[in-house]
Amino acid sequence: MASVEQGKQAIMLSKKHKAGLLNFLSAQGILVFFLLCMFAFSLFSEQFLSQSNIMTVVRQASIIGIIAVGVTVVIIGGNLDLSVGSMLSFSTVLVVDLHDKIGPAGAIILMFVLTLLIGAVNGFLIGFMRLNSLIVTLAMLSAIQGLVLIYSGGQNVDIANSSDTWFAFFGRGYVLGIAVPVILFALLAIIVQVVMSYTSYGRRIFAVGGNPAAAVYSGIRKNWCVFSTYLISAFCVACAALVLGSRVMGSQNNVGQGYELLVLAGIILGGTSLLGGAGSIWKTVIGVLILGFIQNGLLLVGYPYYTQWLVTWVIIILAVWLDLANKRKRLFTTHS
Amino acid sequence: MINVKDFLKGSGVIQPIWVFVIVITVFFSFMSEYFLSVGNLTNILVQTSTIGLIALGMTYVMINGNIDLSVGAVLGLAASLSVGLQDYGITIAVIAALASGLVLGAINGLIVWKTGVNAFIVTLGAMIGVRGLIFIYTEEQSFYATNFAFSDFGTASIGPIPVLAIIFLICTLVMHLVLKKTGHGRNTFAVGGNPEAALDAGIRIGRHMMINFIIVGFFAALAGVLLATQMGAATPNLGRDYELWTITAVVLGGTKLTGGYGSITGTLGGVLAIGILRNGMNLMQVPAFYVLVILGAILISVLIIDQRLNVHASKGVSI
Amino acid sequence: MFYKTALATSVMMLSAGLAQAEESYRIGITQNNVGVDSYQTTYESAFEEAAEKQGNVDIVVLDAGGDVARQIGQMQDLIQQNVDAIIIWPTNGQAVIPAIRQAHKAGIPVVVTNSKIAEAGMEYIASFSGPDNVQQGASSAEMMCEALDGEGQIVQIAGQPGYTTAMERSQGFEERLAEACPGIELVETQPADWNREKAQRVMENFLTKYDDIDGVYAGDDNMGVGALNAAKSADRADEIVFIGATNFAVGYEAIERGEYYGSIYQSPVDDAEAALQTALDVLSGEDVPKMNFFETPKITADNLAEFEKPVF
Repeated sequence: MASVEQGKQAIMLSKKHKAGLLNFLSAQGILVFFLLCMFAFSLFSEQFLSQSNIMTVVRQASIIGIIAVGVTVVIIGGNLDLSVGSMLSFSTVLVVDLHDKIGPAGAIILMFVLTLLIGAVNGFLIGFMRLNSLIVTLAMLSAIQGLVLIYSGGQNVDIANSSDTWFAFFGRGYVLGIAVPVILFALLAIIVQVVMSYTSYGRRIFAVGGNPAAAVYSGIRKNWCVFSTYLISAFCVACAALVLGSRVMGSQNNVGQGYELLVLAGIILGGTSLLGGAGSIWKTVIGVLILGFIQNGLLLVGYPYYTQWLVTWVIIILAVWLDLANKRKRLFTTHS
Repeated sequence: MINVKDFLKGSGVIQPIWVFVIVITVFFSFMSEYFLSVGNLTNILVQTSTIGLIALGMTYVMINGNIDLSVGAVLGLAASLSVGLQDYGITIAVIAALASGLVLGAINGLIVWKTGVNAFIVTLGAMIGVRGLIFIYTEEQSFYATNFAFSDFGTASIGPIPVLAIIFLICTLVMHLVLKKTGHGRNTFAVGGNPEAALDAGIRIGRHMMINFIIVGFFAALAGVLLATQMGAATPNLGRDYELWTITAVVLGGTKLTGGYGSITGTLGGVLAIGILRNGMNLMQVPAFYVLVILGAILISVLIIDQRLNVHASKGVSI
Repeated sequence: MFYKTALATSVMMLSAGLAQAEESYRIGITQNNVGVDSYQTTYESAFEEAAEKQGNVDIVVLDAGGDVARQIGQMQDLIQQNVDAIIIWPTNGQAVIPAIRQAHKAGIPVVVTNSKIAEAGMEYIASFSGPDNVQQGASSAEMMCEALDGEGQIVQIAGQPGYTTAMERSQGFEERLAEACPGIELVETQPADWNREKAQRVMENFLTKYDDIDGVYAGDDNMGVGALNAAKSADRADEIVFIGATNFAVGYEAIERGEYYGSIYQSPVDDAEAALQTALDVLSGEDVPKMNFFETPKITADNLAEFEKPVF
């Protein structure tokens, strides 16, 4: 994997050049790109930069964003999590179904417990059994989807009385004029960013993802670190399920299908490397918002939905490429 | 004589997955009277040939240490082209469909080579984008082959063996020999095992990887065309999730995601394992919901067993 | 050789069925995608119940998981198992035709259920049983006309692109609307893949984009209620008429509350029972019409009381 090695070298190299506003700007290439996109769309659609549209997009992006925060931690720790889509279906179906049966408080608690349990299974298999995370979470993607269907018997679940339950707060509520999903997204992003940047726990996750062998030498309990990242990821999925279930007041069995890829696309766009040991929540937030605004912008301008797929194709690769090119100070690789 | 230790480690002639294939074959033949009939066995071969063909190419790409997530979408595009262009004649339609696979494979490979972006990301992008191409081309419509000769080919058989199964088996044999006996095959292992050493040894790894992406693109397109002959039609959603099942089959067959290790015989075993499980569970009428859970559980179990047998093998970093 | 045996057996079965009514049948069904929505799940259990009630019917129930290729594999498996009849809920109206033709050649009668197959396949099937989706779209267009008095600007939220039911409903709706109500303009159509949350997102974007929306047509009530959710949180639900199809329990309740104008009543139980009955009629040699549409009436606040609330 030549690209892998070069990527690692490039990252090392870039750490040497840290000073200077110019370097800062070029390091924030994705942000510049983001602003350019916003500007371009605003030329074509007058509603695009309206306050209500921006709020709508951010609110819509917050479900993917909340999950992406957790998956970013998993990726920084050197693994992947493809099971989040099925897990989201599982948690949403669970919390909505239990809402009418045992009340919202019990439903939420039980949903968090069971979601964390699934996260623990992932974490055990990958952290302690040291199985490959791509394949384990792929297998879990299928198995959890099956569990959801067995649990619900394939029926949609609904909250009978959607107008008077405090459960509505999570998906439909506002605090100081800001939608609750957005607040949750922001809170989670800030907390996790702080943990990752300023605590020894965060440093250990970076170490485990960047150089597992060295991390183990320096006394880090790698297994536990990896295990914990999957708990964080599961916790974020549970939060997203809270928002999703409350927003829709019902759930289909496949409601989370495909989310794993949207989440990954957002993380990649933000510039977090899939190789582990690098990345930040801040970047992921930007990546998720870019996806959200592009989707919304194309729709407002009036392109059919599939053009959005083509655009995603181009910008995912472009974003990562330019980031790499910037780090190695060269557009193309040199080997033949 | 087969060395037992080598065999269990998967480095022998036969991979552990074949033990599993034999076990489930015996199991299902006791569970269902229909399972062991010639008709059913050839059915399994035809049904697995789609994933199987893609898996042949995917094995090369994965031994290289890369991955291709766009194969499902490429399959869908090729299927649509092979039916949609039949007004210009079946030959032209089929050639165009196969060419689309080669071109998309080349694009993926070129991007991986020239930009150095991880193959996972490059092909994740392509997986989303190529599906967009399908919808632009088909305008959401399914195509139906008015010429029954096309679909008759898909259901034809030579003696008791369906043509599609024969094509699959021949391709398997060719890909096995290329991997084992040619310079390209040796380079595939070398590049995946240690790219820097391969570079030092004078292998042009960029070009080499691109060729393997072209190969997997071709096989995805071929699988698409053959699937279209089976249906006499193509739908824009064809091939969704196929990348996941293909990768699963290849990994079941013992190919390592980290590169440098794998075999076509193992992949054949992995593909058959999934095909037999699906077919057998259908015959036993296992409810669809449980099939998902069982497949997931089996996959993880095989992974655990495989790892226990390879404890001493070097531990690679995942993705 | 195998085909000949199959043919011989089924012919024997057929004649035996004529001779004595107590003959037992083995009927295979391959469904589209059970579990993707409640309609299909309810259909499946209703089908199993109906078969049990018959007493002399043994069924093989399979699910294609929405994948055409897998459905074709299941058709082949059913032919292989030599069932007396096959009921298929097509994942796609065109791609399954060769598999149906194969079953036909093997002498196994095929009944298509719920969604139609393309014209070219009609000669290979014994019968079709299900709702008329084009007609449903047309009925929804008529309701829209009525609700808006023939004037206004509307949007459409369609089912999953590329699926027959979604395309037929859109087609029926658009054609009838243009014909019956030229004063109503359909400004935009976006798919929401039968997914309520996605419909909610699509509607939020519509609400931002258009200051003036008088009506929404959704490909089913599940998506319609998603659109309603979005309009309610934007405080614009009162000015918009919502019309769906395949009446779901949530849609029924919304009509009851007066938030939703109307829908099409379609019972999965009727659907399943009709399919089984059609297959049995075919097997017992009765003269069965090619197209068996079961009733799918309009449902609005006016006639709501005539219908039981859907169980899904």
